[in-house]
Amino acid sequence: MAKSNKKQAITMKEIKRQKFLLIWSAVFVIYGIIFYYVPLGGWIMAFQHYKPKTGLLHSKFVGLDKFKFLFYDDVFLKVIRNTLAMGILTLVATFIMAIAFAILLNEVKSMFAKKAIQTISYLPHFLSWIIVCGILHDALSGSGIVNEVLVGLHILKTPINFFAHPGYFWPIVAFANVWKETGWNAIIYLAAITSIDPCLYEAASIDGGGRWAKIRHITLPGIRPTIMILLIMNIGNVLNTSFEIPYLLGNGLIKSVSDTIDIYVLTWGISQSDYSLGTAAGIFKSIVSIVLILIANSVAKRSGGERLF
Amino acid sequence: MKFRKYFVTLMAAAMATGMLTGAVSAEEYSDDQIKDYTMFIAMPGSEKNDGNEVKEIIAHKIGGRVKEIWLTGQTDAEAVGTIIASGEYPEFINGGDAMAALYDADVLVAWDDYIDNYPNLKEMYTDKEWDMFRQEDGHIYWANVFGNTYGMSKATTHNDEAFWIQAKVLEWAGYPQIETLDEYFDVLEKYYEANPTLEDGTKVIPYTMLCEDWRYFCIENAPEFLAGYPNDGSVIVDKENMQIVDYNTIPIAETYFRKLNEEYSKGIIDIEFGTQTYDEYIAKLSTGAVLGMCDQWWDFAYTVNDVFKQQGLDIAGCNYVPLGLVAEKGQENRWHTYGDTLNNSSGVAITTSCDDVEAAFQFLNDLLDQEIHDLRFWGVEGVDYLVDENGLYYRTPEMRMQVADNEYKASHMCDYSYMPQWGGTSKDGINAMTPTEQTSEFFEGLAEPLVKCFEAYGAGNYPDMIHSVVEENAPWFPMYSFSNAMTTETEGGVAWTKMGEVKHEWLPKVVMSDDFDTTWAEYMEAYNATNPEAFLAEMQEELERRAAAAAE
Repeated sequence: MAKSNKKQAITMKEIKRQKFLLIWSAVFVIYGIIFYYVPLGGWIMAFQHYKPKTGLLHSKFVGLDKFKFLFYDDVFLKVIRNTLAMGILTLVATFIMAIAFAILLNEVKSMFAKKAIQTISYLPHFLSWIIVCGILHDALSGSGIVNEVLVGLHILKTPINFFAHPGYFWPIVAFANVWKETGWNAIIYLAAITSIDPCLYEAASIDGGGRWAKIRHITLPGIRPTIMILLIMNIGNVLNTSFEIPYLLGNGLIKSVSDTIDIYVLTWGISQSDYSLGTAAGIFKSIVSIVLILIANSVAKRSGGERLF
Repeated sequence: MKFRKYFVTLMAAAMATGMLTGAVSAEEYSDDQIKDYTMFIAMPGSEKNDGNEVKEIIAHKIGGRVKEIWLTGQTDAEAVGTIIASGEYPEFINGGDAMAALYDADVLVAWDDYIDNYPNLKEMYTDKEWDMFRQEDGHIYWANVFGNTYGMSKATTHNDEAFWIQAKVLEWAGYPQIETLDEYFDVLEKYYEANPTLEDGTKVIPYTMLCEDWRYFCIENAPEFLAGYPNDGSVIVDKENMQIVDYNTIPIAETYFRKLNEEYSKGIIDIEFGTQTYDEYIAKLSTGAVLGMCDQWWDFAYTVNDVFKQQGLDIAGCNYVPLGLVAEKGQENRWHTYGDTLNNSSGVAITTSCDDVEAAFQFLNDLLDQEIHDLRFWGVEGVDYLVDENGLYYRTPEMRMQVADNEYKASHMCDYSYMPQWGGTSKDGINAMTPTEQTSEFFEGLAEPLVKCFEAYGAGNYPDMIHSVVEENAPWFPMYSFSNAMTTETEGGVAWTKMGEVKHEWLPKVVMSDDFDTTWAEYMEAYNATNPEAFLAEMQEELERRAAAAAE
């Protein structure tokens, strides 16, 4: 971490010395160019009236027409709202739950119990979304277990169809993410916690600090850098979190809250074969993601904490 | 294992050829001469097992074998869009409503140069009908495989839409005349009150509706029929004024949805109707717990009736009987389509990925050979059907039970159901092309409650239950073949897509609403905002084009 920050002149000798490192990094740069930058050439579709028949080279250019269509389309505006809402709700819920879970787990003294809980809690991460959504769909259906319990306990008079009411959808999405990812996300925080110097805890005990004080003044500050970095990275992913669940659990009735940018791209780009419109929506999404990362990063920078770049 | 499978196949093939009388006797193709094709079908379906017996027999006779890949979990447009984006095509494709996208992508082989060499294929349509398949560039790229009657029609089913009701409900109610929605729901309500559960304790669902993807017609298009018009699908054609009418906004639509809303709040309509998938819907119907629904026969009957037969639910009177409901008592209806429906917007196509186009056409052609056609739909003689002294095909009760078994269907039967086929009379002049249309088979296979029900209403078959007007299809019929093929290239096409989205969202909402009038007004506002006029104008133009073309 604390290497000298003095700028070194790049000499031939230095280059020779790092020959293998340079060759290896070149491999990754080339990989990046081929798989991340070359495909960006496809963005040109967004400014064309692209047809598979005419291809990239011969399709007609239409300027910003596709973007105009997007922003005059009420559905697209709703879709942006839904994507952001689901993304942020999911981010906040999974983030807080993972940290809280890691700290609680860290407080468990029995090694066996701790390991068992950890293993059990991160197992759902390995289930694919289609399975998780299947379980949710059955559990929350009109004759599913949730309704049976609620009716059995006389909390509800008649079963409700959870997927027929727009109000329930976002919380269901956030809940599904929490259920699936909490255990997994907690692993990184647990690792960060173990790297905290045990002397600090000892010192706190001597000063009369209880568990709560130790969590507040040692554990949390200790994993703060990890939290910040993960937060910034996850903010960049906010718009990416919402394809599988809305796609698998959405239906015509709650379209207005369940459709996201990715689903919009699928509907128009693939189903209606308007690749140009799909690309335009995709570009918009990428730009928003970049802006979000920049904002998060600069906020972190200003508050003097860890940051990505 | 491999040897055994091979042996069984060979035995089956040998048995079949041994017993077949007439034209083809020896196997014509050896294993390494058989060409393997794949076919994508933009519909959900059941896969055949490898080594399916009839498939192997057909392969050895005509030298081709097709692996059918069905739609799973996606919409047809999504699946076809993904195939186009990937650039890899199966040799055969039946893209449902997404055929236009395939044409746009320029990946289909034009039929024009080939069609004359393949008499069985050519025979499917008249020249005038073939012309209807021509796309903008003047070529034919696909042929619809359904709705073709050879010789005299033998139709005994109502292969159309209707409000369906279980035979046992009608029996319980003493076979009343049911003509209107009010009467229909009245019977359902009364029966449900008296029988809230099945014998095994399953809760009865008096009425359910399917709203998933394109199958939302089950909730959406009843107003056109209630108003007495035929299945033009996306619009009503007012013949007198030659005017396109939007059935979504006619007063009958509002009355219909108001009735549904009432029934929903009474607990008569399934609470899951708005969110259930097609599979869930079929599973629900298969339990026998659903008393009624509005649907097309082909959308549920093939699967559900076979399950009923296997489970003995047909004897319990669970089979569905169609009712030709109308808005006003005594009004005429057109739920049943008597003539053939030519839907030129979809069909089977050969893609440019096929390296031997001629062999592919030959294969399609040979599938229509009467002997092969019999194998596809009747099965193997002596195993799946018998022939009496007059040459009439028939099945024993055991055979009927066997062919209704899913396991058996996967391992033995192979109808290539989305390949060219005929309905109507067999070329032998005696039998029907398919067992479902064989009159004697139909009555033999009919469960007792259905027989009693038909007798009570004086009906000889399903269409008789409906009392539709018997008339020839109008030359522009069905208009849905035009709207199905619309793309977002045109203003009307964009409007059509958006109208669909709005209806998908609002129709179930309207039914579930606590305050019908407000929700209906909101729906109408959202609907009108999609610019339906642009869609209707393009439909009007097409109607005039079709009418003019027919007058020529």
